[in-house]
Amino acid sequence: MKTKIYIIALVSMIIAALNLSAASKNQITCTGSTTVLPIAQAAAESYMDNHPEINISVRGGGSGVGVAALQNGTTDICNSSRPMKSKEISVAKAKGINPVAYAIANDAISIIVHTNNPIKDITIQQIKDIYTGKIKNWKALGGPNLPIVAVSRDVSSGTFEVFNEKVLAGAKVEGSAQLLASNNAVLSAVSNTPGAIGYVGLGYVNETVKLLSVNRVIPAVASVKNNSYPLARKLYMYTNGNAKGEVEKLIGFIQSEKGQKIVEEQGFINIK
Amino acid sequence: MTRKKLMLNLICLGLLFVPMAMNGLETKLSGEFWGRWLAEIAKRKNATGNYENKLVNNYLSLERGYLGLETKFTEQVKGRFTVDIYTTDKTYEYQSYSLEDSTLTASTKSGSIDGAGLKIKYAYVDFGGFIPVKDMTLTAGMQKVYFGSIYDWSYTLIGKAPSDEHKVANSADLGLTLNGYLPSGYGEYAVGIYNGEGYKKVGANLKDNTDFAYLGNLRVTPITGLTVGGSYMYNTVGREKDLNGEANNSAYEKQQLMDAYTRLAYGPVDLNCEYIVKNVDFPNITDSNKTKKYTATGISIFPCINLKEYLPYDLQIVGCYDLWDESDRLVSDKARNKLAASTIGVNYNFMPDETDTPSMQLQLNYTDKRYDEDKSHSDYANGKQDSSQINLQLKWKFANTL
Repeated sequence: MKTKIYIIALVSMIIAALNLSAASKNQITCTGSTTVLPIAQAAAESYMDNHPEINISVRGGGSGVGVAALQNGTTDICNSSRPMKSKEISVAKAKGINPVAYAIANDAISIIVHTNNPIKDITIQQIKDIYTGKIKNWKALGGPNLPIVAVSRDVSSGTFEVFNEKVLAGAKVEGSAQLLASNNAVLSAVSNTPGAIGYVGLGYVNETVKLLSVNRVIPAVASVKNNSYPLARKLYMYTNGNAKGEVEKLIGFIQSEKGQKIVEEQGFINIK
Repeated sequence: MTRKKLMLNLICLGLLFVPMAMNGLETKLSGEFWGRWLAEIAKRKNATGNYENKLVNNYLSLERGYLGLETKFTEQVKGRFTVDIYTTDKTYEYQSYSLEDSTLTASTKSGSIDGAGLKIKYAYVDFGGFIPVKDMTLTAGMQKVYFGSIYDWSYTLIGKAPSDEHKVANSADLGLTLNGYLPSGYGEYAVGIYNGEGYKKVGANLKDNTDFAYLGNLRVTPITGLTVGGSYMYNTVGREKDLNGEANNSAYEKQQLMDAYTRLAYGPVDLNCEYIVKNVDFPNITDSNKTKKYTATGISIFPCINLKEYLPYDLQIVGCYDLWDESDRLVSDKARNKLAASTIGVNYNFMPDETDTPSMQLQLNYTDKRYDEDKSHSDYANGKQDSSQINLQLKWKFANTL
């Protein structure tokens, strides 16, 4: 008898929960990639200017953090600087979360060095050799007799994962490399260290560092769009299922002409 | 604590620092601790020999303390080491053998542990890219057993996964597995070879079972929120022949373990269902009726309703109906237990981290166990009586990159 009561109680709870209607949301949360962060922040501010009833909260943490938040149902939008992996999609789908990707910008992982460094170009193989510890001095690349300080992103970063795939091909970053948690931290470390080399999203490159061409290709609108720049990539926003309501409007805004202007203002390349 | 135990514990703690010494790309330190209060009322004999309800358990314990190191040697190669520290657990198991009338008989016994205990739960390395199949990993060492729901049981309910609770499969074992994910998030799979002994047994008896256990597991998520799958494991218990001769061991078991699994996640509802079959054969017992051979079955229905979306607090209502039928198993011509357990509970999640994932969880569970047991059978006197249990548990966890 008691068992029957338990079963009836459990079934009732399930039915009650299914009938709970989702409240209309004026709060949107975006979590994830620090590369996408400036785009998301600028777009959110612009969107909120025209929609004062909407409150958009934007947080960083890295693409991995954003993916975890999407899987846990704790964010409306996951910002990611890489495509989600099969494992991540599988875990999400089993939890009833259906990740749908929206490309919002083109980007280039940009190789940067200190402004005093005379090197102008570098090859993918040379970058790999630096980060795996085979090349330790700029002299080996025709530069000054100066030890190389490799600055990398931490491994939960989407930028690191794309860099790992396209440059390192799975090889291990040497133990003495600095692993930093954000694009800004990499930028700051490289601008303050004469022998440093690092990599950041194109939008982060400024006059405090020197941008190198890779395999003699400079990251620019044309070379990124036609994929001739070897470290070109897309930036994404992921939602659970097709975006709806205000989330759909926000992403639509970022993909619109006005939104893509914001993308360009932040130093990234539009998807048009 | 004996000197041997102390040495073992020191070695285990020392191993914690091995991944750091190997200069990994990134090393993560994580911990998870479960403090529990348990109160249980069950039927016991009174002075007149009749059964009546008595308080049989009422204690506080550190039920689990997982301390782990995870290191990435490269993006493709990762190691994990986890120890389980606890203050109450009698699951220090070993097998004792006796040789009578040329028949080697094995029996599983458990020993008590004074003070805190320590077990190695996981110590394995993942080799991604070892085999050129996308998203496939070769895992070697003391690792998860990919059977049923035991390997991804998240303890949303205080109780164990059904296959763990009914001792169908071990949650961890030494082995070699190929595991991975289907393209586009359509599911996951695993095949593997294990010792078949689990991670709790100690001593020389570990070597006595010379057969490996073989496992296959597949889960498919054809549409978002619906997962179906199943697993199969072939295992043996004990060794077939006496080490010192050709005498058959009558306790030698061949086990076929099967599991069907379904998960339905939709909105706030997450419903898990599992059906387990355990076929046990004793090939060395030659009586014509094969009386010891048996099949046990279990069904478990486990719903969880997440109310975070609708309440100012992150609350979950959980429940479980679990039926374990071992009545096909005959001991001295008497049927053994059939257990129906019903649980209802609530979880309060708090202290969210940067991904809004809670670092702490307060769980309250009420469980009612009903045994369909022959009162004259010795098992009844040994604890297989109807009981009610309240568990209150605080779990907290952390993870930091070193």
